[in-house]
Amino acid sequence: MAEIQLLVIDPSGLHARPAAKFVQAASRFSSRIVIREDGREADAKSLIALLGLTIRPSSAITLAADGPDADEALAALAAELAPYVTSAD
Amino acid sequence: MGLVLVSHSATLVDGLREMVVQVAGDATPVATAGGTDDGRLGTSAPRIAAAIRSAIDAGASETLVLLDLGSAALSLELATEELDDTERARVRITEAPLVEGAVLAAVQASIGASIDDVVAAAESAATMTKLPRS
Repeated sequence: MAEIQLLVIDPSGLHARPAAKFVQAASRFSSRIVIREDGREADAKSLIALLGLTIRPSSAITLAADGPDADEALAALAAELAPYVTSAD
Repeated sequence: MGLVLVSHSATLVDGLREMVVQVAGDATPVATAGGTDDGRLGTSAPRIAAAIRSAIDAGASETLVLLDLGSAALSLELATEELDDTERARVRITEAPLVEGAVLAAVQASIGASIDDVVAAAESAATMTKLPRS
């Protein structure tokens, strides 16, 4: 399973519009993709799961992907989130 | 796949439509039927029927109708009687909460999900968490 760590820098956290764009981007890949925050995990292809995490500013999040296009998916999703996060690696 | 938003208030569904399109994108047609023909609060069967037809005309092979309050269901019932059989066969109605359901449904539709998955997403809004864990 491929993983990347990110830190949310947007003052609003991960709000509805970027969350929806993120879900749309994740859905283009066949890999199973999850987003983890503070011990919780959400399916990256489910908006309700993602919004349920209520990701706040300064949250450390992990994107993890498992499948044939995992690396490609993580690169695309990191790019999608770029305005809202910074690398935590 | 199109959405039809039905409310007693035209202002409410206009604003909701704007929000849905901004969040989910404009690939999914979103039609609205809010208020009465003379601009009062209420629902109107002809306006609902027109909204369903406009979603179908915009290319929706299936339409999902969301309501604000139960009293809109009576107008909706009359509206579906105005439709022909082909149109009526393309209409699904859900109990989902209007605002949250519309947003979740539109995003689900935008990723190419089936109508059943879109309905399930909309209905999951009834129990979705909003407040952050304290």
